[in-house]
Amino acid sequence: MARGVAAGHSRAGALALAPDLCLIERDLRQELATLTDIASWAGCFTPSISLDPPDTLLLEIEASLRLFGGLAPLCDAIRAGLDELGFTAQLAVAPTPLAARWLARGAAGSLLQTPAGLPDALAPLPLGLLAHENTVGADSLELLAGIGARCMADVRRLPRSGLARRQAGAVITLLDRAYGVLPDPRPWFVPPEHYSSRLPLPAPSDQTDILLFGLRRLLAGLSGWLDARQAGLERFTLVLEFERLGSIHRGHEAESRIEIVLGALSQDMARFQLLTREHLSRKALPAPVEALRLEADAPRPMAPPRTDFFDVQASEDNDPGLLLATLRARLGNAAVHCLAPHPDHRPEHAWRQTDPQASALQPGAALRTAALPSAPRPLWLLPEPRPIACPAPQNILAGPERIESGWWDGNDGEICRDYFVARRQDHSLVWVFRDSKAPHGWFLHGYFS
Amino acid sequence: MAALATLASHAPSSLDHLIWRGDRLATATAPGLPTGHALLDAALPGGGWPVGALTELLVPHAGVGELGLLLPVLARTPAGRWAVCIAPPGQPYAPALAAAGVPLERLLMVQAESPAHARWAARQALNSHSCGVILLWLADADMGALRRLQLAAEESATTLILIRPASAASQPSPAVLRVALASCSGGLELRILKRRGPQLAGPLGIDLPWPGGAPRPGRATHPPRPTAASPQSSIHALVRPLPARPGPASLHAGAQ
Repeated sequence: MARGVAAGHSRAGALALAPDLCLIERDLRQELATLTDIASWAGCFTPSISLDPPDTLLLEIEASLRLFGGLAPLCDAIRAGLDELGFTAQLAVAPTPLAARWLARGAAGSLLQTPAGLPDALAPLPLGLLAHENTVGADSLELLAGIGARCMADVRRLPRSGLARRQAGAVITLLDRAYGVLPDPRPWFVPPEHYSSRLPLPAPSDQTDILLFGLRRLLAGLSGWLDARQAGLERFTLVLEFERLGSIHRGHEAESRIEIVLGALSQDMARFQLLTREHLSRKALPAPVEALRLEADAPRPMAPPRTDFFDVQASEDNDPGLLLATLRARLGNAAVHCLAPHPDHRPEHAWRQTDPQASALQPGAALRTAALPSAPRPLWLLPEPRPIACPAPQNILAGPERIESGWWDGNDGEICRDYFVARRQDHSLVWVFRDSKAPHGWFLHGYFS
Repeated sequence: MAALATLASHAPSSLDHLIWRGDRLATATAPGLPTGHALLDAALPGGGWPVGALTELLVPHAGVGELGLLLPVLARTPAGRWAVCIAPPGQPYAPALAAAGVPLERLLMVQAESPAHARWAARQALNSHSCGVILLWLADADMGALRRLQLAAEESATTLILIRPASAASQPSPAVLRVALASCSGGLELRILKRRGPQLAGPLGIDLPWPGGAPRPGRATHPPRPTAASPQSSIHALVRPLPARPGPASLHAGAQ
């Protein structure tokens, strides 16, 4: 810029001005994908969105004005949201789509609400803006420039029939649409069922903080997509794309998928971020990450959070599913579990680890009860019986209770034991057994309290 | 000074919890979580395990009776809330817990690789506001870690019970209640090392429930009278008489 390179210069011209210029190929497909991402996100402001490639997005906001408290707050919200996504935009508001686009290009920031102000606002815009329209040929523009028309107002003053005769009819049609004389219907954008958004990082990184920063942008987009559908997610997938060079040389995967389970239907981005942070902090990255991708499907309709008019405290912060998901994200699924009795007479087999269900916390949830033995059972069971010396007879308080058989589990399952309640020196009660098999050893198997 | 004393004695009951006189139990702002043992409830400010504060149980070894003591609290976990056991040293036995009436589907077992993980899990459980009671087994912890747990407990209004080895009794702790456990014939002997109130004269004898409601085997017909006041409590002028111990039947009824 400082050396005089400007938009519209040819490649050779630009290189002549600044020989060390780094040229980047324009990726139209990527631009369109980005525009689609932004359109998905913008669903949180209005359901009526129209893509205007390559670089424009049209939102019909008339109906949303009241919800957001007026034009200025809505524009601020859009600007702040885009900032969070990592984009800057030129906003303009006008009663017709074309006028809005031209104003955004030529006079960004104009907020025009009534059609009455349209002629005045459009009049000073330069004719160069028309060059971006597909329907207008370069020859039409040359012709108009030759006549001496510089701005929109100049063209409006020219006789329409004369322009039409000189192959500039397309210009008249465009101007009529912009001024609201002709209707200008647009196809509405339909947000995709399956959300997928990719964010290339500015530089490959293996720092969790940087990944999380990138993730915030992706999540902001996801949030808009969910808002537009008034839906929530139960899980989503974060894909880490590793540096390509590294993955070929060092032989690890080119990408890694992290499935993030939210524990409940949610559209709360703070929760999304919290759980992703836990997953990321646990993950060892084999190589620097080049790009992040967020994938989500199966959004389920979700009622907005219920708020109690009288009791604000009770309705917030009590989310058993979140605790479960957080703990499992950091410690692993196996480390967080529930217990359940299992119908088996052998002590080691009489319980199971079960998957905790947040839904089971509700009062209506039925409790499965297995048949429980009537004889006393200890509160703690040792994972392996521990050999002990033969206890003194006066320390044996209750028993024996014979527990035997289990041939169906092979040799390991086959037991034959006489269980006793015994007292230790410090008066605590323990569960011991005497093996009825060959060496007749005594074993400690549990504590009673 | 005299005027101040008069003011204190005539203070309306709404200010009671702000003024704590050393010879009385502090009036807790929030009622405690009933322990299920009448004798223990009577000795604790608030009438139960403190809510929104750290409690320490000091045990000489695992299985001395800590789980038996806490069974009534676990059994009374309200619907919609978890009871969380973090880093238990052994395997709590599901059939016995179920027989004691503990709602197993609300009892969350969390295994932690390290004490740091265990403390992290406890803080998450506190912050989630979705737990009735949190049991945390912690072998060693420095003052800073305990203080952070105490602060987290204060903010969340949840009962956090820390189970630590008896050797930790000599270390300072920010816990508002510290109880040393020892087993005795018939149940547990509790020494309250620290509470918001005067020192207790002697240990409390607690009968632990026995499955089936039968008397606990090995229970002496005449329980030994509580020993004379322990040395550290003798410095206190005011010694509360130990309430008479109720019979085992009534305690069992209360615990079920």
